[in-house]
Amino acid sequence: MLRIFAFIKESLFPTPPPALSAEELRDSFSQKYAHFRSLLTANNNALQAMADLEKIYYGGESYRMAVIRSKITTILVNVYKMVRSLLAMSSGRYGELEKIFDTISSSLEQIIEKKPAMQQGPLILVLQELSLKHRALAGAKMANLGELTRLPGVMVPPGFVVTATATRSFLTTEHFAEINRRLQVLEPDDLDALYKGCQGIQAMIKGLPLPADLEELLFVHYNRLERTAFPGCRVSMRSSALGEDSGTVSFAGLYNSVLNVDRTTIVDAYKEVIASKYGARAIAYRRQRGYRHEDIEMCVGCMVMVDALVSGVTYSRDPGPEDNGLLRINATAGIARGVVDGSQAADLYLVGRDKPYPVVYSEIRQGAVNQATGKPTGPSLTYNQLRKIAETALLLEEHFGEPQDIEWSFDHQGVLYILQSRPLAGGHSAEESAVKPVDTAGESSEQPILFGGVCASDGIASGQVFRVDSPEAMRRFPKGAILLLDHPLPEWAPLLNRASAVIAEGGTEAGHLATVSREFGIPALFGLPEAMTLEDGRIITLHAKGRAVFDGRREDLLRRKNVKRDIMAGSPVQRILTEALQLITPLNLNDPTSPRFKSSWCETLHDITRFCHEKSVTEMFSIGQTHRFDQSAAKRLIGDVPLEWWVIDLANGFREGAGGDAKTIRIDDIVSVPMLAIWRGISAYPWQGPPPVSVRGFGSIIFQSTMRPELDPSVPSALTTKNYFLVSKSFCNLSVRLGYHYAMIESYLSDLLTESYVTFRFKGGAADQQRKAVRARLLADILQRYDFRIELRSDSLLARVKKRSVPFLEQRLQVLGYLTLHARQLDMVMDQPGAVERYREKFLREIEEMLGKTVSTRREADDEGQKENPVG
Amino acid sequence: MKDKKKILLVDDEADFREIMAKFFSRRRVDFKLAASCMDALDQLAQDAFDVVVMDVTMPGLDGLKCMAEIKKVDPHLEVIILTGHASPHAGIAGIKLGAFDYCLKPIDFEELLEKIMLARKSLGA
Repeated sequence: MLRIFAFIKESLFPTPPPALSAEELRDSFSQKYAHFRSLLTANNNALQAMADLEKIYYGGESYRMAVIRSKITTILVNVYKMVRSLLAMSSGRYGELEKIFDTISSSLEQIIEKKPAMQQGPLILVLQELSLKHRALAGAKMANLGELTRLPGVMVPPGFVVTATATRSFLTTEHFAEINRRLQVLEPDDLDALYKGCQGIQAMIKGLPLPADLEELLFVHYNRLERTAFPGCRVSMRSSALGEDSGTVSFAGLYNSVLNVDRTTIVDAYKEVIASKYGARAIAYRRQRGYRHEDIEMCVGCMVMVDALVSGVTYSRDPGPEDNGLLRINATAGIARGVVDGSQAADLYLVGRDKPYPVVYSEIRQGAVNQATGKPTGPSLTYNQLRKIAETALLLEEHFGEPQDIEWSFDHQGVLYILQSRPLAGGHSAEESAVKPVDTAGESSEQPILFGGVCASDGIASGQVFRVDSPEAMRRFPKGAILLLDHPLPEWAPLLNRASAVIAEGGTEAGHLATVSREFGIPALFGLPEAMTLEDGRIITLHAKGRAVFDGRREDLLRRKNVKRDIMAGSPVQRILTEALQLITPLNLNDPTSPRFKSSWCETLHDITRFCHEKSVTEMFSIGQTHRFDQSAAKRLIGDVPLEWWVIDLANGFREGAGGDAKTIRIDDIVSVPMLAIWRGISAYPWQGPPPVSVRGFGSIIFQSTMRPELDPSVPSALTTKNYFLVSKSFCNLSVRLGYHYAMIESYLSDLLTESYVTFRFKGGAADQQRKAVRARLLADILQRYDFRIELRSDSLLARVKKRSVPFLEQRLQVLGYLTLHARQLDMVMDQPGAVERYREKFLREIEEMLGKTVSTRREADDEGQKENPVG
Repeated sequence: MKDKKKILLVDDEADFREIMAKFFSRRRVDFKLAASCMDALDQLAQDAFDVVVMDVTMPGLDGLKCMAEIKKVDPHLEVIILTGHASPHAGIAGIKLGAFDYCLKPIDFEELLEKIMLARKSLGA
């Protein structure tokens, strides 16, 4: 029973933590502070890397897997550091975050490390055995050719393919590890190093011995070809790579083909084709189009060489801007290589796709050549040959179900051989035609009304300006309007599904709102000078990438769709990044006041950063609430304000050598920047004493004193009778109990905008609830004019401003210092007619005068400084 | 009294050590080189260092195991790990085991220098 009582007592009246000495308090603060700084730094790094990653994803330029891995690693490491720092600051209060982080982290690793599925099979397959189902073993090129061997009327030279299984037996995991190691240290932009590195890798591959069984099989199959064709026949060795089956990516001409290969050179030729996967051209192309090296596996096709009279390339459908009903045929005497690699002039024929396949256009650039004299004898192709090519090309197109890019040869006996058939890569697609260079704002016929800032999310949009600076304005936000913000705080994110664009005077591309804007695909321009001069309701057009705001609705800009062909579309790297981003950037934790703002609701790394940041600030704020301290730790401030002010130095808040064992400290010995700013506000105007109180008001004081003895100034306890500054050079926490109200100002001022904040909490009073609430509303109204974000519930006021410059925040601290002193006991008169207006007018006038004085005094000091230190 | 102002670079690749030596010399950073974990532990026994910069993949004891050994001797010594393979796993594993930070190869010298300075700052050096 006693234990139950003890439990109830502890629940209702918890034992206060033991009082700390000055030294202990300093230690506790500096530890917490170190974690806080480290958390903020990690937060910046993580958000920057997230912004980079999104910029890469949405930027339409190519990107490499190495960059993706590096960015994701940076994000993970920094988010993990944030979790660790928060746990250290909060004595492990949010322990479950570590588990959530681990879950997201391992899912991300699985996405990044996912390897293409590998199919195992024989080392070598004969061409006639191949069909489309063998693409994953023989590569699309050879599988397609194998398929054609069964098509009536279509001839393919005899041959075989050395499969991906064979490649894996030739190049083992260890070899790939070594190759990858060499590739990873290559600077992508250093072409010299790339070529040198590639040569090294290729030499290494060519120097490796072929596994004995593979070499033996290679000769077995070569012997078979000899028997099919003729003894000593020559073969061609060509690449047939796995993973190149995307219709939008051609992979044409990347790898080496070796022609005229015989028994003596077949092994070397095989190695050369395999090694060409690591040619500089192929590496650069893969990087450009979003393929990892492991996404591509080489197989090698080996076919008897056709004794070619004439060869060429045919597109079964002329890839012009629109379907013109023609086939396009290029032809040249001899083998097709010159046409394929573009090194040789070729005759061009455009032939109708319908019988009798009329030649509607021809351009004879090279013609047929007399073998004996070497002189041209006329067009390279006869009409019969053209008709045979057209028939075959259309047959292949029908068989594969899409237009084909076909390489062919006629031998001296007039037989048409198909050497390759693959889907025709898109020509000038409609999408591509829409790509037009974006005019810069300066080139437009009309000049922008505002120009500058950073493009946080690309795009062009038009709408009416709607300024949002309060939850109330947020509720009124009309759909399709352009959201105008002083500072792009994440709190405004829920508006993004209604806004057509976002403009902010502050902020960068790395902020939460920038991330969410990109996620929603909404144009956003941040850090735009004088953005707040845009009037509500004005119709404007925002050109985010041009960093310009134009007056009115600019149809010319809006028409420019700015569609970019995505060079990475459909690539494995893009697929990986798409999947990975789902676990990184969406922000579900928008509102810190929501009951869902809990670690258990963190679904992405962005959520974790948001949660850690918010909670870390709370942890820092709570230093005055969670730490009781020995009153002897404090020194009484000697200043010109006749109240009791006590100061505790947490780290470098006093001038060097000041303080010591003395019981007092002079204001001149304080070097804490935020405290001095608050003090300027407190000491700007003398307090004129309590306002004249009516009998009713006085009765209320007596009532409050009876009901809430803890507020009675005669009851001694820390933070009730005295006003405490906890300070360091850049930090200040002021706890004030003046009369019956409680106020707390806390600030950290840093050159790093994201670290800086000012927070003000105010509650209570001696009057009744209604009058206390009126006073709180008066303060909220004034603070709102000075850019504070306000949360007001009855008489409880929370005002915050953050991520602004030090001089800006110093002025806000001055305002808070002024109000803290002059709002004393004001609640008592808040029911008098005209009182609110009278005090509002007085406060605003004095604050403006005070800030004006500060600015001009500083300017004079600066001028003096410049006179003393002339530049140059 | 040991003079604590040094960086110990641990990497099995001679070329890389050479490049880093040139860079550190140019930037007037006091440094020593070690080619393996054993070598590093020997040097740490004889001399005092501010920060260890160490490759993760090394023959013998790898960087992460080596860091664990180093931390046994001096838990406060900050370690920056280097990895040629941008692996989230290696990065987080390193931080979990107590690394101060990590850098990717190829090294961005300025980034590494900044991290070294931050590590020294956290030591109060």
